[in-house]
Amino acid sequence: MDRHPYIRAYMAGIFLPTLGLLIALSAFILVRLVMQLPMPIERAIAFPMAIVPNLWGVWNMVYVRVRQNHSWKIGLHGLLLLLIVGPLGYCVGRLTSVLEASAQGLVYFGAIRLDYAHFVIGILIGAGIYYLAWKYVVNFLNELLGIA
Amino acid sequence: MMSEGNDQKLREFLKSHVPRADTEPKRDLWPLVLRRLERPAPRRVLWFDWALAGAVLAGILLFPKTVSVLLYHM
Repeated sequence: MDRHPYIRAYMAGIFLPTLGLLIALSAFILVRLVMQLPMPIERAIAFPMAIVPNLWGVWNMVYVRVRQNHSWKIGLHGLLLLLIVGPLGYCVGRLTSVLEASAQGLVYFGAIRLDYAHFVIGILIGAGIYYLAWKYVVNFLNELLGIA
Repeated sequence: MMSEGNDQKLREFLKSHVPRADTEPKRDLWPLVLRRLERPAPRRVLWFDWALAGAVLAGILLFPKTVSVLLYHM
């Protein structure tokens, strides 16, 4: 089981966001087609579909590499990924006009207004999800694939 | 002397009428023992993690608007 640990780490890393993508895509389609909200789904889906799962995979490869020489908590490692995903998502959102910033707050998809207090709460909730997801799900998958 | 003879008869009677106990395992149990030893101990979820999961769930329920942020950024 010592062969190709980084490929296995990548696969273990992309598993959860790929599953989550199905939920996100379902929600986007529900909002766009059923609720008839004019949401730019083609542009909005680019970040969660193309970038986030790959980032998780690569981040898990980094974790396996770091663990070879140092003792390192996987929950904390996953939490740090938020420092990359958050700003990157913001930049991609601004570039694709999915996300607009104003003095009052942020506007997602041209439809959902979010003041900065709610945005911070969203970040904290996201941090909790990342920590738990990495500590329990990604760690379990790493153990399953023999790279924990 | 009489008693020894009775014991011998009783022993022979039991041997001929009671089937031998099957004391040998039907298959090799050592791989099972090894698998059991290699199996990791069941993971315990810390109270802090339960509290965090509860807080995350409560946050989503109390502030449903944040779900859009989570869906997009995650």
